[in-house]
Amino acid sequence: MPLLAVKKLRKSYGERLLLDIDALTFARGASYLLTGDNGSGKTTLLRILAGLEQAETGTFLFNGVRYDSAADLARLAPTVLYVHQHCYLFHTSVAANIEYGLKLSGVSCSERKKLVQAEMDWAGVAHLADVPTHRLSGGEKQRVALARARVLKPQLLLLDEPTANLDDEAREQVVMLIQQMREARNCVVIATHDREMTAMEGAVHLRLEGASLHVS
Amino acid sequence: MKRIMQIWLAALLATTLLPSVWAADPNVVRLATTTSTANTGLLDYLLPKFEAKCACKVHVIAVGTGKALKLGEDGNVDVMLVHARPSEDAFVAAGHGIDRHDVMYNDFILIGPNNDPAKIRGGKDVLVAMKKIADAKWKFVSRGDDSGTDQMEKGYWKALGIKPEGAWYSSAGQGMGEVLMISGEMRAYTLSDRGTYISYRDKVGLPILLEGDSRMFNPYGIIAVNPKKYPDANYNGAKALTDWIISAEGQKLIGDFKVGGERLFTPSAK
Amino acid sequence: MTLADAARHAFELLLGGDATLWGIIWISLRVSCLAMLVATPFAVVLGFVLATFTFPGRRALIVVLQTMLALPTVVVGLLLYLILSRQGPLGEWHWLFTQEAMVLGQAVLAFPILAAMTLSGVQGVDARAAETARTLGATPLRAALTVLMEARFAVMVAIASGSGRVLSEIGCAMMVGGNIAGVTRNITTAIALETSKGEFAQGIALGTVLVALALAVNFAIAMLQGKGEVR
Repeated sequence: MPLLAVKKLRKSYGERLLLDIDALTFARGASYLLTGDNGSGKTTLLRILAGLEQAETGTFLFNGVRYDSAADLARLAPTVLYVHQHCYLFHTSVAANIEYGLKLSGVSCSERKKLVQAEMDWAGVAHLADVPTHRLSGGEKQRVALARARVLKPQLLLLDEPTANLDDEAREQVVMLIQQMREARNCVVIATHDREMTAMEGAVHLRLEGASLHVS
Repeated sequence: MKRIMQIWLAALLATTLLPSVWAADPNVVRLATTTSTANTGLLDYLLPKFEAKCACKVHVIAVGTGKALKLGEDGNVDVMLVHARPSEDAFVAAGHGIDRHDVMYNDFILIGPNNDPAKIRGGKDVLVAMKKIADAKWKFVSRGDDSGTDQMEKGYWKALGIKPEGAWYSSAGQGMGEVLMISGEMRAYTLSDRGTYISYRDKVGLPILLEGDSRMFNPYGIIAVNPKKYPDANYNGAKALTDWIISAEGQKLIGDFKVGGERLFTPSAK
Repeated sequence: MTLADAARHAFELLLGGDATLWGIIWISLRVSCLAMLVATPFAVVLGFVLATFTFPGRRALIVVLQTMLALPTVVVGLLLYLILSRQGPLGEWHWLFTQEAMVLGQAVLAFPILAAMTLSGVQGVDARAAETARTLGATPLRAALTVLMEARFAVMVAIASGSGRVLSEIGCAMMVGGNIAGVTRNITTAIALETSKGEFAQGIALGTVLVALALAVNFAIAMLQGKGEVR
């Protein structure tokens, strides 16, 4: 059974038809690269999958369970987790950001501290633990955003232009993350322009052109 | 967020449970009185002695006589100590108050600049003096607040058939103390009760120019708010205060009250 | 007595622990603190709701709020007096000439400042904050609280402004409190009374304390902002 199956997805902005996708499936353990020109609807597609925007028509089957509206899909968070392009970090410290989702899921305090520390080590930001996020560089922010997502172990991770900040370490992190998601039989979808990303092996390419998706 | 709520709750408890300066006393008597009795310090001297006896607290709201009677009429106080006999009688006649008693008296005086441009010094007739001031338009400050003093002043103008208006006549709309200070600053004439004047003499710097006219007699009366009209007014407290203030003890204390060696009020309860 | 004499006398009174003086200061603190504690939760919630949701009458409500910002304190005092008087609708509460009435009045005065500044603070938060919170698993309520936390700088400034207004207002306190010694005489009404009696030393002493309080509040807010390291 695919992790997520999408059928008959349509989204328009006013007069313009942005997305018209008949069928789309995401399999466990697979990684997907979503490409397309600017304005082609990559971000919109990811946001719809995250439940942040409402499509006109479309049915979604996640783990075999049916979800019809954006409100329904939104309830899947953080199992389905979307990270913005130019990620948004809360105005607190790095550690507090990473801890945010853990607090919501009722993990105990000591357990949280351990997980957060492990995550900061993974992302290479442990030395920035108590730094307020507005002081970080673009690349550092991205790594924190990834750590914040990764610690919650999402089954479907939606990344919007994660390497747009042109930090080599960030790019490495993303590649590492994809690898780990595959191994854990989770799924990651990445909207990207980055040539080095698109050259990555083993990923399914989804190209958005016109309003349709071309799989390769 | 939880921490913020805890702090908020702690602060709320601290401010509500820590007492106000005087612990909330169930037996509160609300006394509306005039600024002339309050500003002289008479009540600060008198009331603690009463409070010790009655185990209650008197809350003093000092406003003009007109406002004091209105507070009583609206039921916002329990007892009034004022000095405007016609208004007091009307008040009782209308059923707003009961148990009216004489308490004390002092008198009114005319004060003004030392050089006395209107030449009223040493006169014996208050109406003649007021007419001189009005005719020559010398600066005069009026209470203008429907207080006992104000009503007395308006009574003089009425008797003279004069309507005072113009740049020379200032209607301050404030208490006796404030009006004395204003008159001092402006070097103007004004009508004052002797008690407040004595308390403020050093600060004001205006001498007494006319006194002793029998029409300047200033009696004070105490009236309780009618419990039939306002059953939840503290009539017991009002009665206790009234009885005490007209008793031998209260009256003696009033007579003993001196500022700068001078007695301010003469006890007059019958 | 010259100004210098009065000032010197003022400090003697303060440092000597004059009971009346410190009693007046305590009343100011208690009343204003309580008023802020009461007004802040409601005002912040209203500000947040106005910033986040659209509903019929929203525009009108914002206009009313901003008009209330400009209301003179005596007008608020007058309205409350009429309401709390025995003749008025809430006369049975017997709140006229009590600290409760002063707290109510000051809460009404602080409310529009708190709400309007919270509104603009929350409007200034990036729209992605709420989305990020949701994608990380927050419920709509939780996400709303997170957005509010993101706006905490503005809310703190709102609290400082509101505190300043209520500590230093006199019109309302005088009307609904009645300036009763030991009960409803706070710093501002006491200053008015003492100055009218020509007792400038008391007036200066109390005025100094008022300025010190205002400084203390703003200092505390600045410290909190520094600790949170918000820009």
